[in-house]
Amino acid sequence: MSFLSDIGPFIPALWDGFLTTAAVSAASILGSFVVGTALAVVATYGGRIAAMAATIYIEAFRNISFLVLIFFFYFGLPELGIFISAFWTGVLVLSLAVGAYVADAISAGLTNVQGGVKDAATAFGLTTAQRIRLLELPLALRVSLRPLGSLFVNLILTTSILSTITLNELTNAAKIIASTTFRPFEVYFLLLILYSILTYLCSVIVHRMHVRANRFLAT
Amino acid sequence: MIKLTDVRKSYAGKVVLDGIDLAVQAGEVVSILGGSGAGKSTIVNCINGLVAPDSGSVLLDEFSVANRKGLREIRKKCATVFQNFNLYPHLTNIENITLAPVRVLGVEPKNALADAHDLLHSVGLNEHADKYPAQLSGGQKQRIGICRALAMSPDYLLLDEITSSLDPEMTAEVVDVLKLLVDKGMTMILVTHELNVARSISSRIVFLEAGRILVDVHRDVFFSDAFLDENRRIKSFIASANGL
Ligand SMILES: Nc1ncnc2c1ncn2[C@@H]1O[C@H](COP(=O)(O)OP(=O)(O)OP(=O)(O)O)[C@@H](O)[C@H]1O
Ligand SMILES: [Mg+2]
Repeated sequence: MSFLSDIGPFIPALWDGFLTTAAVSAASILGSFVVGTALAVVATYGGRIAAMAATIYIEAFRNISFLVLIFFFYFGLPELGIFISAFWTGVLVLSLAVGAYVADAISAGLTNVQGGVKDAATAFGLTTAQRIRLLELPLALRVSLRPLGSLFVNLILTTSILSTITLNELTNAAKIIASTTFRPFEVYFLLLILYSILTYLCSVIVHRMHVRANRFLAT
Repeated sequence: MIKLTDVRKSYAGKVVLDGIDLAVQAGEVVSILGGSGAGKSTIVNCINGLVAPDSGSVLLDEFSVANRKGLREIRKKCATVFQNFNLYPHLTNIENITLAPVRVLGVEPKNALADAHDLLHSVGLNEHADKYPAQLSGGQKQRIGICRALAMSPDYLLLDEITSSLDPEMTAEVVDVLKLLVDKGMTMILVTHELNVARSISSRIVFLEAGRILVDVHRDVFFSDAFLDENRRIKSFIASANGL
């Protein structure tokens, strides 16, 4: 009971943090999806040099500490005269970094597209661009949805690192509340639940999409 | 007219087509027979441009597969039906049929849809228009494959063992559709293992062995006793094919 009365005044702050985390997550999922799809297409179909550049990008970003990357962008860019808010720095860096993993998942899907589908599309005169856009990417995404789901869950959890660049998201809000109320156990327990809600939501949505998209596909 | 002149193709030093000369006139139905690995599919794929010959020329009317523009025109005039259907699994049956007419020929979607319904109706699959390929039987899938090809209003059809993954009943369904096309005067190249199919719809038979054309004769000649007595290898091929 006394926990609830202690924490009551902070509920709006926690709710704000929750919304910020949800927003930064949603924007970054979208961003990493766009970055990843573009990288996968270039890595799979691009000319030798473009494909190599994409592959280097993918490898590089999968081997960089996210925390360092976020510091680099948030504290480094202003030195070059580029100022972006903590929120958009987070979205940018998450999109670039998670995009590398997304690219990997989609590339795997692309290489799995049956040769017969490509043959038919080619023999019927579709251009390479039409083939990729209308057939190969949609088919690859059906295969990639499940691995993408785990990547996006991870992305949501990673947003907590944005508390280090002063973004008032869920973890930051909780830190402040915990240190003010001296109830870290309860506050962080609540935090776990709130993150679980977000990741569960993400899993359910992706799972639904997976089932729906693969409903009529032969196995 | 489809005209192949001295077409050669090797894979890693292995000769697959060893100087193919073949001319198919408008209105002809030519069956290509031959053992597994003889190069039958490779011939078909040299015509639709899926395989680039090492040398020789492949012409369809005045167009050559050797240049981009020619190839584009050839793919508009000449449609392929595949052994394994190769339908687009994430599109409905009718979307499979309308995709290329809309995207490649630039047909109005509305008109392409109406044409596709007519085609589906003609092969008895109208009620399956909005289902997906995975929901159909093999014979039905192949009839969708034929509709997809016919939707291009092609002058030429290439059919590569289109009944070989089907049971006899489904094969009969598909052959009935082919017979309708023969009656309409469609020009076709038909690769098949099934002698009955070759015999019932083709005008000419080409027999391929190890990448060379061994014989190229009228259907009636090919199946005559006198001819088979002269050509022992073909006779034994036919005997073993019938034994299957
Ligand atoms: N992409 C390829 N790479 C290497 N070898 C190939 C390739 N495509 C075909 N071949 C070889 O070329 C030969 C002829 O192949 P093709 O598919 O034309 O034969 P086919 O007469 O159609 O046989 P089947 O009746 O089994 O379909 C075969 O030995 C095959 O292994
Ligand atoms: Mg073959």
